[in-house]
Order: sequence, then structure tokens, then C-alpha cells
Amino acid sequence: MKFEFRFPDIGEGIREGTLVKWLVNLGDTVEEGQSLAEVETDKVTTEIPSPRTGRVLELKFEEGDTIEVEDVFVVIETEGEGEEPVEVENQPVDEGSAGVVGEVVASSEVIPSSNEGLDTTPRVSHKKKVLATPVARKLAKDLGIDITSIVGTGPNGRVMKEDILKAKEELSKPVAKPKALVEKLDIQYPKEAIERIPLSRIRKTIAEQMVKSRFTIPHTTAMDEIDISKLVEFRNRYKDDLREEGISLSYLPFIIKAVIKALKEFPEFNSTYDEENDELVLKYFYHIGIATDTERGLMVPVLRDADKKSIVDLAKEIEDLTTRAKENKAELHELKGSTFSITNYGSIGGHFGIPIINYPESAILGVGRIVKKPIVKDDQIVIAYVLPLSLSYDHRIIDGASGARFLNLLKELLSNPDMLLLRS
Amino acid sequence: MTKYDVLILGGGPGGYVAAIKAAQLGAKVAVVEKERLGGVCLNWGCIPTKTLLKTAKLYKDIQRAESFGIVGIDKSSIKVDWQLLLKRKDKIVNQLVNGIYMLFKKNKIDLYEGKGTILNKNQIEVNGQILTGKNLIIAIGAGDSSPPIPGLDDLVKSGKTINSKGALQLEEIPKDLVIVGGGVIAVEFATLFKTLGSNITIIQRSGRILSGMESEMAATLEKHLKREGINILTSTKLISFSHQGVKIEHKGEEKLIKGDKYLVSLGVKPDLSQVKNLDLEIDEKGFIKTNNKMETSIKGVYAIGDLNGKYALAHVASAEGIVAAENIMGVESTLNYNIVPQCVYTFPELASVGLTEEVAKERGHDITVSKFPLAANGKALAEGESLGFIKLISDNQYGEILGVHIMAPHATDMIAEAVAAMQLEGTVYDLAKAIHPHPTLSEIVSEAAHGAIDKPIHI
Repeated sequence: MKFEFRFPDIGEGIREGTLVKWLVNLGDTVEEGQSLAEVETDKVTTEIPSPRTGRVLELKFEEGDTIEVEDVFVVIETEGEGEEPVEVENQPVDEGSAGVVGEVVASSEVIPSSNEGLDTTPRVSHKKKVLATPVARKLAKDLGIDITSIVGTGPNGRVMKEDILKAKEELSKPVAKPKALVEKLDIQYPKEAIERIPLSRIRKTIAEQMVKSRFTIPHTTAMDEIDISKLVEFRNRYKDDLREEGISLSYLPFIIKAVIKALKEFPEFNSTYDEENDELVLKYFYHIGIATDTERGLMVPVLRDADKKSIVDLAKEIEDLTTRAKENKAELHELKGSTFSITNYGSIGGHFGIPIINYPESAILGVGRIVKKPIVKDDQIVIAYVLPLSLSYDHRIIDGASGARFLNLLKELLSNPDMLLLRS
Repeated sequence: MTKYDVLILGGGPGGYVAAIKAAQLGAKVAVVEKERLGGVCLNWGCIPTKTLLKTAKLYKDIQRAESFGIVGIDKSSIKVDWQLLLKRKDKIVNQLVNGIYMLFKKNKIDLYEGKGTILNKNQIEVNGQILTGKNLIIAIGAGDSSPPIPGLDDLVKSGKTINSKGALQLEEIPKDLVIVGGGVIAVEFATLFKTLGSNITIIQRSGRILSGMESEMAATLEKHLKREGINILTSTKLISFSHQGVKIEHKGEEKLIKGDKYLVSLGVKPDLSQVKNLDLEIDEKGFIKTNNKMETSIKGVYAIGDLNGKYALAHVASAEGIVAAENIMGVESTLNYNIVPQCVYTFPELASVGLTEEVAKERGHDITVSKFPLAANGKALAEGESLGFIKLISDNQYGEILGVHIMAPHATDMIAEAVAAMQLEGTVYDLAKAIHPHPTLSEIVSEAAHGAIDKPIHI
């Protein structure tokens, strides 16, 4: 019996991937669960396992090809007891999950937690029932548009066919690019002196995200230096003991703890500005994104529910997540869904920076390198460990005073670790 | 002196509905009406003609009572008393018109009776008094269009030629009635007077009657009217009118068509003398230009009803009135002219909404046309009315309903289901799934929907 394996839907918004490498050859016998190919999507490179045991009859794509979701990808001859000559592993997405991830049997094995990730993330939009016409619903589904995100123009806000068509038009408009940049590219460079490198999918995604953030959100950045001598002392007291347990305790978990306290105090820093409805969506869950430098580009693995974890747990999880992100082993759901992000460029070097917000979040904290510096304390010049922080935030919804208050609270907590532990 | 939020010139089905809606939304409203509230619709059009047609239908049914098992009626002695019929009509009209006066009182709308003249976009003069308002709705309707045909004006003056209003003021039922025009008014009056005993000739310039309606329905009706004995001349050219008759060219020959009365119904044209002080944009046919929010070229001035040239239909005027009132009162509102029902009150009735097969194809739709005959409907057979059908046009992509055309008794009531379904952008799947009560004529709708998906059940 022939089995047509279709490229599974691996997550919200991801409609295609690039075939990096076949891991099997024509005629090979494959086991269920054995990897068939390596595919790069805009978030991860992942191996696609075979949903069946059998012999590979056809490999439908060449390495380097783009595969769209639902394309027949591999044909496997299985030793079947089935009656039908061709079995198609794909079910139509049911009405209830329109706009969310279509549940394809195979895909749950490929990237098992892509659905989990969605389920654990509270989504405001899913709570409201959308008033829409039958044709509008079907059209939205076919065009891959999340109908809950559309503002209807029909009676009582009903989403009409026309609204979906307009939304589609909006989506297909190219992202605005700075004009100067485009013009510069017209300059003719001598061919031998340059090299043109096509952007990887990941790089393109990073570029789009940056443009979207920078051109949508009016950023402003507040900076401060914090004397963390006491925190350094505190950490030094325990870090060797912990190392023996295999835990490397950096300053980041302390910073995360302080940030969460501040987010709880100033919830607008853990929010999203919903322009469509002129509403501020405050999030009462704390998923902290950690900007991570990898060979393939910037990745943001996410510490889920960081408020519920101890400093030691956070230390362990940061280590695990960032290592896997660097090794390209992080799973898709681990790379999305953050509510506030931290970029720790200080681990490489640098003092202050102007971080770009991880859209659609409302703020991001940049952490610089801790250095010993002379400071004035009780009218004496003393040497202290100084941590530079840069906080960028969405100036549409957060005023400068709030930015300063947020930083002040971080300062209070980080300069006095006892207070940090007592209050968080 | 009161400054109004909304001034409305004209109290027909457009103007009075706009007035009530605006008042409900909190506006201080004044309406200027030169005759009686209700306009043509209540006084001379929709309601009076339906009253007369009811009598005609009843008369016709009594004549065929034996086929329903009723005996003992002496056909030679039953007749329609025209004056008695007009009295019944007046009673109903009065009841309805008085109802509007009551509604005006209830909604605290100020009514000024007299011919109003618009001075500028904020002022109307009526009976020497000047009314001032922030917004203006023009709703003065339209009169008969009288093309320049030799002799027509003279004959109108002599009283031999009448319009639809004149037809309701006739002393008696005419023996030979010549109807010039083949539109809705023409076929309704033909049906009425034919049933009441007149000899009827319809002179139509184009190739078929009801050129605005779905072609198969119009053709079926034309055949039926001819079978009933109505003389229908199509593809004619009007040459002249005189006391001898209407001279026409038909099939290459000149003919003189004679009658006691000539009913001329050749469309409508607005009389814009009352609004001449406003520099409004007018279209090439002489109607005031408006958009789908009823706005004219002047800010704060709205035009609704027959005079904007969209549809000369009471229900469109009312819908436009509501849209205009809402926009004035800050409720963003538009009218979708793609879903306007059109009704013809013949025996049987015709009703349409949306696109015809031809137009749907022209617009590039990939369509399915599903037809179901009335002869396969149980209720229709019980009622002894099996002439007619439904035609449902749907787009093949999602099964969206693009148009519905019904020829059946009560088609004008039944079309409302299709209008609602289309307003909700419904599909044939929705219509098929909706349980239709049995036994009813409305079952033909679900049958046609099943037919569009696969096959009707009962055929």
C-alpha cells in the first residue's frame, strides 16, 4: 500500500520550509520515527520523522527546495492491511481550530510540543466568539487568516467576506523598508570586490521582525548603572558549591527575578499594545525570552512561567535552553511566546546598548558587562562592581516616568540581594 | 425659533422612516410634506394597488370555486363593484396614513404641511416660514417620466391618458385599456383590470415585458398573461398619441391601437425645482447623485428614495432613510445595493434578489443554477397554484448565494428568506441545512439549495 506523507503543519504561521538534507535514499527501508529529512523553517532546523514503516518509493523534492505545508513530500510503500490503494495522512482542519494549528497526526510527532506551547499560552483572542458570515469564515480559513484578529464592518461588527479580502490585501503588502537603504543598493560595486549571499530563512525572519518592531513601536531607552557589589559577594558565596552539583550560577537568574518583581509592579511592561482595538493587553504570566547568540543568528529561547521558578532552577534552565539553541536543538515552541525579553550582550562585552523590543512585547532589558569601577559612596571614592542596564520600551503606552521607576526598582532589588530574595 | 438637527423635505416611505429613525436616535426633526404623509407608496402606489389586486384575486378564485368543490355560485351574477372596492382601499390607506401621523406625534417630530422650498443647505421655506436645521434630507420622490412623443401631452390633459394615480381614480372599470410600458406597474394593472373584465393591450418598446426582472420568470409570465387573454405587443416604436389611439410601429407595420383609456407608465423622473437653490451634483439621467451613505455632493445634505435614481422602490427608500438618519446621528452606516429585493404582484407573484444567471456570469462567477418547479410542491397543489418555480444562483467556490428568483403565489413574502440569507453571506449549504416547515411553499427554497449541492429530494 502506498502512503503519501504530506509536509506537516508545524506551527502557527509557518507555511513552508527549506529542505536542507535528505537523510534517507530511494529504496531504503525506514522505520516509523526514523528521520527522513532535515528541514529548516524560519525558526528552527528540524528533522522530520517517518510516520510509517516501509520502503521509500519517492522523494518528491531536491535539497534546497522550498516545501509548503501539505505538499506530498515522501511516498512510502508500507506493508499494509488497508483497503484503500492510497492512504493520505492529512485531515482537513476542523472549524473549531480555524486559524490555529491544524492538527496533523504526523506533525504531533515531529514537533510534539508546538500545540502544547499554544495551549499553555493564554490567548485573549480565543475567548471571544467571532461574529462572521459563513463565507467569511471559509475564506479566512482558506487564506490562512486568523478571523479573530479581524474587525468586522458588518452589522454589530460581523466579519464579512469583504473584511477578509481587505485583511488579505493588507497582509500581502510588502513590509516597508527604509528608502535610503533600497537606494544605496543601486550603487554598482565592482563585482570582484563584493560577494552576494542570499539570506537564510532565519536571517530573513530576524530582519522582518526587527523592521516590524522598529517601524511600529516608538522606542525609547532608559539607562542606569547599579552597584551590585553585595550581589557579587552573595553569588561568590554559593557559586562553587553549586558548581559541584553541575550548576553554573550566573547573574542572569538574579536579574530575571528582579525583572519579574518589577513586571508585577508595573504590568504595562509585560503587555502588548493592540492597535486594532485600541486596547492594552496586560499579561499575567511571565515568559522571559533570553536573546541568544547562535551561529545561525539571533534566537530567543523562552523561560516559561519564570516567576514560578527558583533562582537555581532558572540557572539550570537558562543553561539548558541556550545551549540547545546554540546547537540548533531547541524545539519550535521553546523559541516563541515570550512576554518580556532580556538581551545579555554584556556576556560578550559592552556597556550600554539600545535594544530593539521583541515585537509585540512592550519592553526589553539590555544587560551590559559588569565591571569594577570607582564610585562615590558616603562621600568616599570606593571600588564597586557596576552593572549597566538599558531598558527599551514602547513609548506609546509607557511614559518616561514609568521607565525610570521600573529601573529604580531593579536598582533597589539588585543592589541589595537580601531584599531581592525577601521580596520575590 | 427652533433649530432642528434634521430637516426632511418629503414625507413618503423614505422621508417619514428617516424622520422616525433620526428621532429615535435623539434628533430634533422637522418634516415638510406638501400632501399627505406616506407618499406615493401609501396613497397611490404599493398599498392601494395591493388592495385592489386582493379583490381581483378573490374574484378570480370565486369564479373557479367549483374546482375547489364549492357549488351554488351563480357566476353570471357575481361582479366587482368598483366604487365599493375603492372605498375599501381608501379605508385601508387612511388607517395606515393616520398611523404615521400617530408615529410622528409619538416621536415628537414636527410636521409642516405645505410645499417646501430649499433655500440653502440649512434652510427650508414653507408657508412663508423658514425652518433651520443642521442636516438636510431630500426625499421628494419622482414623478412620471413623459418622453417627448407627439400628442402625449394633449391626451394627458384631456383625461383620456392616465398614470397609475389616475387609474385609482377611474369612475368605472374601463372596457378597453391600453397600457403603454411593460414594467412592473404595467403588468400589475394589466393583471388587475384583466381580472376585473377589461380588454388589455400592453405596448412595450423593448423585446420583452419586465426588462429588469429575471428573463425566464418574465418570459413565463408573459406567456401566462397572453394565455389569460392579454394582448402584449413587444419591440414596438411609439409614433404618436391622438384621440383616435396610439400609433405604433410593430413588426414593420404601422398600427393604431384604440382604447377607452390609455395608462402610460414609462418610468420615473424627479422634479428638482424644489431643490434648485442647491448646487447638487446631478447624474446624466437627471437624478441626484449619492453614495452608499446617502451623501450628496454637499456635506450635510442627503438624498434618499426615487430621486437618487438607484431603485424606485418604497423599501429601498425606507432603507436609505435609515442609513441617512444613522449617518447624520454618527452611526456609520451604508447600504448594500447588491441585495435589493424586487417584487411583482401578478398572479402568480414574481420576486427576485441578487444576481441573475447572465449577470453572475458576466461578473466572472463560476456558478450553479438550481431550479425547482412549484408543481412538485405539495402546498402549491393543495392551493391550486402550481405555476411557477424557484431559481437559485450560487457561486461554486463556497456555495455563496448570489441570487434567488421566485415565481409563485406569495413569492414576495418568500423572497425575504433569501434576502436574509444573502445579507449574512449565506451559502446553499446553510439554506439546505435550515429546516423548512412542511407543508409550505417555502420548501422550494431548501429543495433548490439541495439541488445546488447535489440533487433536490422531491424530484
